[in-house]
Amino acid sequence: MANIVVLGAGVAGHTAAAYLQKGLNKKDHKITVISPTPTYQWIPSNIWVGVGRMTPEEIKFDLRPLYKKWGIEFIQAKAQSFFPEGDDQIKTGFVEVEYTNEEHKGVKRKVAYDYLINATGPKLNFEATEGLLPGNGNIASVCTFGHASHAWELFQEKLDKMKKGEKQTFVIGTGHPTATCQGAAFEYILNVDFEIKKRGLEKQAEVIWITNEYELGDFGMGGAFIAKGGFISNTKLFAESYFVERNITWIKRAGVKKLDDHKIYYENLDGEYLEQAYDFAMLIPGFSGHGFKAFDKTGADISEKLFAPSGLMKVDADYTPKPFEQWSIKDWPETYQNPSYPNIFAPGIAFAPPHSISKPMTSKNGTPIFASAPRTGMPSGVMGKVTADNIIHWVKTADPTIKHKASMGKMGAACIVSAGYGMRKGTAATMTVSPVVPDWEKFPEWGRDIKTTMGEPGLAGHWLKWLMHYMFLYKAKGLPFWWMIPE
Amino acid sequence: MENRLIITKYSDQYYPPTPNNFTLFLRRSIIVQLFRFMVLNYKIIKIVVKGHS
Repeated sequence: MANIVVLGAGVAGHTAAAYLQKGLNKKDHKITVISPTPTYQWIPSNIWVGVGRMTPEEIKFDLRPLYKKWGIEFIQAKAQSFFPEGDDQIKTGFVEVEYTNEEHKGVKRKVAYDYLINATGPKLNFEATEGLLPGNGNIASVCTFGHASHAWELFQEKLDKMKKGEKQTFVIGTGHPTATCQGAAFEYILNVDFEIKKRGLEKQAEVIWITNEYELGDFGMGGAFIAKGGFISNTKLFAESYFVERNITWIKRAGVKKLDDHKIYYENLDGEYLEQAYDFAMLIPGFSGHGFKAFDKTGADISEKLFAPSGLMKVDADYTPKPFEQWSIKDWPETYQNPSYPNIFAPGIAFAPPHSISKPMTSKNGTPIFASAPRTGMPSGVMGKVTADNIIHWVKTADPTIKHKASMGKMGAACIVSAGYGMRKGTAATMTVSPVVPDWEKFPEWGRDIKTTMGEPGLAGHWLKWLMHYMFLYKAKGLPFWWMIPE
Repeated sequence: MENRLIITKYSDQYYPPTPNNFTLFLRRSIIVQLFRFMVLNYKIIKIVVKGHS
């Protein structure tokens, strides 16, 4: 009997759990999912919660009845320590977790495993930027459905003030010098702008994008080249055009250091320390690992064997430090397997990337200011499925050979950037990149396959985003033939 | 776009391309967008299929 434990129930963890239960006989094998909350949320739709177009209930559901139906044990707890070699009492690897539900809150428990999937995602490191905590004065976030719900409340307050004739400044973008997820902030600023204009309040509003990107349209993936209108142009033009069309201004190459109730303090690549006044800020925080510890069977700390300095888990990537010019897609992992303990996998955002995708930049004062590597829902889902497929193969054949691979240097990703809600008046930019990490050896001219890398604004993009919302929630809920919907 | 005149000359915002009325019409036209919806779905499916080993 195999005992498989999945830490985390986000896109990667839930996808892995779903395919594990489908591929393995639950009478013979045990699957356990451990997550601090019993809720699955479709994160891309947080944007619509943040502008009041959807309620949190429309983008989330309770996982417990589904896991009961699937024969998966669910433990509402957060992981704290990893013991990959076991200890005196438990001979297999185990994780120490702490319950987060009301009934057992604070109680610790050891959960043994034969195979472990660490899909704990990132820690939203708001603390790394002074004053950034959502709910703090005029600061909002759309990182979780709860944050997005608060963002909508704060946004309504600002709309009311504008209706009374008060001018308001909205600053949206990245809230840490090396933050990622520019795409989510980009969606939010476009939706905020859309909602302001829909109410005829644009004369009362100043909307500003602040970003750590070297150029707009970098999105943490070094930008992309797309063929459009007889030219092949960079996503810099694409993003800038979107903003100019809407009269949104921008501050680029900015590393936000601190916020108070009315000002954002940032440093730019020129080493200048500047301020930006605001009435509403939604800034994406830095991401980090969760600060997990790992111990061997003697109790010695082996955290560096499992985790990179960022706190994210080491996998089959090439972590050798090398200059940007020598980066290759071969640096990126394919199996998400920990090199020291092959029965531990880390798909999704939980794995430590070998380096960023965008070129690292440093200010004149030595502050790193650049976009970290993003890992959106589509790659995370694929990694979760591939991890499940590999474990199923290992369990069924006792052969540890990894058959299924998914490198971000080979797989593509689609991202629908919502820019306004409505089946007739809505709009979105459909963006695809293939591969996610540019492969300059295979595609020496543009870094990616120019036939499948694209960016297209229009109403159809909104329909696609809307369709994906319902399609992926259908799949996550395990409704009939869910497995026919790809990640 | 109607506010383009208020953009300060020689700022970053002065230079990027902006869509003309015909491009905006195409982006909003139901018939054109229905066609684009099918094309975009096809392109995304191609990427999805390639991404699964």
